[in-house]
Amino acid sequence: MRGVLGFLGPKLLRALVAIWLVTTVVFVVMRLSGDPVPLLLPPDAPTSEILRVRRELGLDRPLPVQYLTFAANILRGDFGRSIHFREPAISVVKGYLGATVELGLTAFVLAALVAVPIGLLSAIRRNTPLDHVAMGVALVGQAAPTFFLGILFILLFSLKADLFPTGGRGEWKNLVLPALTLGAFAMASIARVTRSAVLEVLRADYIRTARAKGVAEWIVVVKHTLRNAALPIVTITGLQFGTLLGGAVVTETVFSWPGIGRLAIQSIYNRDYPVVQCAVFLSAIMFIVLNFAIDLVYGLLDPRVRPKA
Amino acid sequence: MSQVTRRELLKSAAALGTAAALSPALARTAQAQTTQKKELIVAQSGDISKLDPHFSTSSNDIRWSFNLFDNLTSRHPDGKLYPGLATEWKLTAPTTWTFKLRSGVKFHNGDPFTSADAKASIERTYSPDAKTMVATVLTTIDHIETPDAGTLVIHTKKPDPLLPARLAFYGGQIVPEKYLKSVGAEGFNAKPVGTGPVKLGSWTKDDKLVLEANDAYWGGKPDFDRLTMRPIPETAPRIAALLKGEVDAITQLPADQGERVAGNATTRVAGALYAGLYVLAVNSKRPPLDNPLVKQALSLAVDREAVVKELWRNRGIVPSQPIAKGDNHFDASLPPLAYNPNAARDLLKKANYKGEEIFIETTVGYLTNDKQMSEAIQGMWKDVGVNAKVEVIEYSVRAQKNREKSFKGVFWSDPTSTLADPDGMMWRLLGPGGPQDYWRHARWDELGNNARFSVDEKARGEMYKEMTKIFLENFPWIPILQPYEDYGLQKYVEFTPNPNQQFEIRRFNFKFKRA
Amino acid sequence: MSATPAVMDSAVTVRGGAAGRRTARLALAGLAFVVLLGVVAAAAPWIAPHDPVRQSLRGRLGRPTLEAADGRARLLGTDQLGRDVLSRIIYGARVSLTVGIAAVVIGGLVGAGLGIAAGFRRGMTDTVIMTLADAQLAFPFILLAIGIIAVLGPSFPTLIVVVGLSGWVSYARILRAQVIVLRSREFVEAITALGGSVTRVILRHVVPNVLSTIVVIATLELARAIVLEATLSFLGLGIQPPTPSWGGMIYEGREYLDSAWWISTFPGLVLMLTSLVVSRTGDWLRDLLDPTLRGE
Repeated sequence: MRGVLGFLGPKLLRALVAIWLVTTVVFVVMRLSGDPVPLLLPPDAPTSEILRVRRELGLDRPLPVQYLTFAANILRGDFGRSIHFREPAISVVKGYLGATVELGLTAFVLAALVAVPIGLLSAIRRNTPLDHVAMGVALVGQAAPTFFLGILFILLFSLKADLFPTGGRGEWKNLVLPALTLGAFAMASIARVTRSAVLEVLRADYIRTARAKGVAEWIVVVKHTLRNAALPIVTITGLQFGTLLGGAVVTETVFSWPGIGRLAIQSIYNRDYPVVQCAVFLSAIMFIVLNFAIDLVYGLLDPRVRPKA
Repeated sequence: MSQVTRRELLKSAAALGTAAALSPALARTAQAQTTQKKELIVAQSGDISKLDPHFSTSSNDIRWSFNLFDNLTSRHPDGKLYPGLATEWKLTAPTTWTFKLRSGVKFHNGDPFTSADAKASIERTYSPDAKTMVATVLTTIDHIETPDAGTLVIHTKKPDPLLPARLAFYGGQIVPEKYLKSVGAEGFNAKPVGTGPVKLGSWTKDDKLVLEANDAYWGGKPDFDRLTMRPIPETAPRIAALLKGEVDAITQLPADQGERVAGNATTRVAGALYAGLYVLAVNSKRPPLDNPLVKQALSLAVDREAVVKELWRNRGIVPSQPIAKGDNHFDASLPPLAYNPNAARDLLKKANYKGEEIFIETTVGYLTNDKQMSEAIQGMWKDVGVNAKVEVIEYSVRAQKNREKSFKGVFWSDPTSTLADPDGMMWRLLGPGGPQDYWRHARWDELGNNARFSVDEKARGEMYKEMTKIFLENFPWIPILQPYEDYGLQKYVEFTPNPNQQFEIRRFNFKFKRA
Repeated sequence: MSATPAVMDSAVTVRGGAAGRRTARLALAGLAFVVLLGVVAAAAPWIAPHDPVRQSLRGRLGRPTLEAADGRARLLGTDQLGRDVLSRIIYGARVSLTVGIAAVVIGGLVGAGLGIAAGFRRGMTDTVIMTLADAQLAFPFILLAIGIIAVLGPSFPTLIVVVGLSGWVSYARILRAQVIVLRSREFVEAITALGGSVTRVILRHVVPNVLSTIVVIATLELARAIVLEATLSFLGLGIQPPTPSWGGMIYEGREYLDSAWWISTFPGLVLMLTSLVVSRTGDWLRDLLDPTLRGE
């Protein structure tokens, strides 16, 4: 038991600190530009509104008190009222959440499902043309900036080939290009790591032993190799899940996908800071929580962490 | 029709160079364009900012506020004035107009329409408490009487022959007095109620506006059950939506894309010469734009011909004055606004221009080609030594700045000539207390006021000539062009565009071509 | 794994043999590319065939051609205002490299500073700084970047600071590790026991080791910073028009993808190539100089 706690403890601490960090940075940045009230209210707001908001934010109190008020508001889910949509910022953001989750999950599943077999095949058929092509594509996929990849996909598969729509959300066809774009980096990373992890394992002694014992090749591959390579593969997969959120901002913008990344960008153009604040904060929380969950899973899988019998 | 065939048609149409030269193959497939649709879907370049008709005059809003609400009189695409909520009107005394109102009309919430509503609506526009965006439209009115529910008597301060025409456009939309009082302005904007051919279904910001047909409309139920407006800010997806058949009509179609829409077998382009101008309106309160010499230089530095030819494919004319072609008192003898960069440089020197920043605040696609023209004009101004900067702003931000008059420099505006008369354009907008009141000039103000109330057309003509002369020395607007405003339509949409940007879907102007 | 022996090894760990020589050649080629890019950027006024901001409405949306209306070539076409795409790409390299290098320097200085502080003072300072580092790593930085730029407004200095701060962590970790080793008693004792001078060891062994690691990190960070700047410019939060930047050009070309695809495509390909070459160079340098970094 102590082993698990000892493992989880620091991770939990890290998550909490990250949340605290985001809160603080948002608070600081909003104050950096001077008086935050003009950012949070429409310009034609009546004086009574302005006074109410000043009171709510505690702007007449000392800075530490303001900070605590701010943090307390956030914990209650109060991010202020969207200037553009004229409803609480948090309900606006919640409305766009589903689309981002749909895109992220699809991208992730697609990436994992495609990358692991390819990595595996590349390792088994090492130094064949398949290996070289696959790893070449993976290299490009990792180096290509997400937004340009999206534009290329639109140019080639939507405009020139007319296979998919150019953007928006609707039927399954609308999901393909954005998911591919968002998942490209993850797909490439997972494929490369899978390949090297499998290669490591293939070289190992117990594989030679299994082969010498006459176990069928495919059993060797699937049962022994994958099980032992699982750890690094799961690690990289977990890491990539987190980065998908960052890539979502750009992907959603390129494909006009109505998720919170695009909402955040649009709200910046609209000077709708309550929504920007809320979207950034909630994305950060989601990210941190997800990472923590992945750490948990990782911890359960890693034999070094499990409590000694 | 398969995808491949359409692409081949597109290619062949492009090869032929013009949409008019339809090959026999094209003509054959084009003739059978009918539909059984009950829903009209329109895509425009931005979402609505206000549904309250007295609080916005921008094209993205009035397309819909003119359909949610009726006016007493109505201007049809043919340019003539027709009865609306008023069935007859007569000048019963030199300064008195008497309107007979239509009976049996109900608002969308069931309340009956009476003269009290007409009176309250009109008075609201110029009420100082209401702070509407149409405060200068009906200021010729002195007081209004409602002898009975079906009669409206309007007394004007001085003889005003244009009053019925004024009531046909912005500010003349009739709102329900009781309902408005009970929900207040913000509530009314969120859930507007009018007498028009459509009523509000739902409004999901940045997603869609759904309007339901008004079955009991006095002019007949429109030829659809539902009208959906989808904002698609970017041009390419908007056009793609039309070409793929996802929408029935699109607005703000740039000229260089018009050829694609015209060449496509299922769609067509319909346009009208805009009854107005596209101008760079100037916040003349901000130096160095308070200096007339600077503004003259800015105007001389713009190569309007290149803009019209390259960005508009010649679908527009270079203006010569602040009066739109087609209006009363348009002076055909004036030459198009000149392009003379050398003279511009000289004027800047004379004006002691020291390189101060001049901002062009532009939206993207609210006015067709706004961003492209802004960048082109910035380049032209830089060529004569102006420190010009382009700033892109969202439409919602522009709407805000418009209300507060807080633009940093110049900004795009598409003044509409609402009366086919200079009184309805430059005087309405630039006059004292108007929505673009950034510049005052005693003589110009005097002339404008007199011209408004004179009934002597010849005298008015002289006054407008002098106002134009003063205008061209001071440039409160820098007119850029008078464009053709194009719409992309599916071939089964029978619709005539209105030169004043109203999207007229009442029975007399819109229907689906049914088999 | 005790750190002491590693430090006592030869100054720079180099992967040997034929594979090593091949990697060295590749790394050199990669570095040559970066230098070439720098030269092109610096020499832009002489190399670029046309003025990157000169508009020509009549020549807008021109296809790539050897002979445009004025008789001169527009090898990569013209954009929506008639400006030569090739010239803009060349000038765009200035933006990418300036922001990239400045960001690497800022990230390096901040990271080194924090890392040294953490390693030197240990205790609370160390915990705080390291948790900060972990927290920042565990975070999609672009969200924070857009939030900050939203409030402060897009400007060149803001951009450099934001991009710079996105990468301090790697440097901090390395410097911290080194400082911890150097401060350890065993280290000092081991050296004096062997009859050496601590200062000499630091200068001859530690510094080159750290430097080589930093070079690897800086190269990888440069690739990342260039892509981040392009992404921010694409979103309208980076370099503002009409200054040419690769990200900005890709954004401007978006609405002409179906008619004038070259406006977005060429800057994008150049960006991709740069990102690929620079990050691969970082990989090769790492293989050559410090395979222990592979875990990062």
